Amino acid sequence: MSGPVTGRSLGLLLCLQCRATVRAANTPHSRCPRCRAPLHERKPYSLLLTTLLLIGAAVLYVPANVLPVMDTRTFVDDEYDTIMSGVLVLLQSGSWPIAVLVFVASIVVPLLKILALGVLLYTAWRGSPLGRLQRSGLFRMVEFIGRWSMLDVYAISLLATLVQVQSFASIIVGWGAWAFGAVVVLTMLAARTFDERLLWDSPSHD
Amino acid sequence: MSPLVVCPACDLVHRNTAAPARGATLCARCRAPLQRASGAHIDTAIALAACALVLLLLSNAYPLVEMQVNGNSRDTTLIGAALGLYAQSYYSLAALVFLTTVVAPLLQIAALLYVLIPLRRGRRAAGQEAVFRLLMKVRPWSFMEVFMLGALAALVRLSNFAHIVTGVSLWACVLLMLCLSELTTVSSPEQIWRWIERSRA
Repeated sequence: MSGPVTGRSLGLLLCLQCRATVRAANTPHSRCPRCRAPLHERKPYSLLLTTLLLIGAAVLYVPANVLPVMDTRTFVDDEYDTIMSGVLVLLQSGSWPIAVLVFVASIVVPLLKILALGVLLYTAWRGSPLGRLQRSGLFRMVEFIGRWSMLDVYAISLLATLVQVQSFASIIVGWGAWAFGAVVVLTMLAARTFDERLLWDSPSHD
Repeated sequence: MSPLVVCPACDLVHRNTAAPARGATLCARCRAPLQRASGAHIDTAIALAACALVLLLLSNAYPLVEMQVNGNSRDTTLIGAALGLYAQSYYSLAALVFLTTVVAPLLQIAALLYVLIPLRRGRRAAGQEAVFRLLMKVRPWSFMEVFMLGALAALVRLSNFAHIVTGVSLWACVLLMLCLSELTTVSSPEQIWRWIERSRA
């Protein structure tokens, strides 16, 4: 027998919910005998769904960074902050570890995620055999870091709740924060619909 | 135990061996975790879940932080983050924050307790399979650790112009975060089904 022995070559399905190994049946809508989750050889419409979600995320990444995420109103002025200007404020106030944390979580992570998923999608679609191990690792990293981009959304919502002192200042949430939340949700869903087994399905030439 | 185990990340088939007591075995081809640890006792998971439930209630009952400025003071609990967004008419964003900081942790804890407590006495909860699938659906959306760092970033920003008093909830939240992360580790999907199958025998 040539090539690696895979679940597909032996007619075995893996339940992604409870990790049961199931003999593939020829019925179209089979369910896991153990936990009753729907079983598929590969996630259905994986490349299409991931592409659509990723396009949505990439489009919303622009307003998330350009629109103000919050607006600080005091007697004397009205100050709009984007994510980046918020990072600069943190830097100027001397708390550079937090500034770095917010910068990485809010600006670097979403961008890396979108680019990485784009590369994974393209190479999976082409069936490229190159650097599979690295791409597989890249995907697990994308899955792991996904949630961290919510960091600034939480910070902003807490600020908006706390800073509502009539005689002093109030913080109004901006649409940038909304776009930010949407980017996090869309990239997380894109990672979930992507079937990483597609990276390994094409024959390797070695 | 099935004689074969299939890698969830690359579909390679391996001969099934006993899962390790700690950590995980890795797929020979793609290095993804293949079999996760099997050491945990069901009581450990129940205790962690009960503990997390108490901490979650505390986090919502008492203030996380209090801000004092010019003689005025305001405080907020864990749920306050979502309520603040709701008050400013960002309903969908408020729902997302509510889901990831309150609903998902609560459902995660409740679903585990619902399945595990009857198992301990050798019984099966009604609708056990559906509750298990619900657990798998909500787990990735429980963001306590991200919320904690977000709260830290908010406090640093506020401390420049207001006096901040940390509340009892802040510590409850830190413990909740640790509890939930440990709970997720001990109750891997494979482990939950090992407990279920053991009670059946």
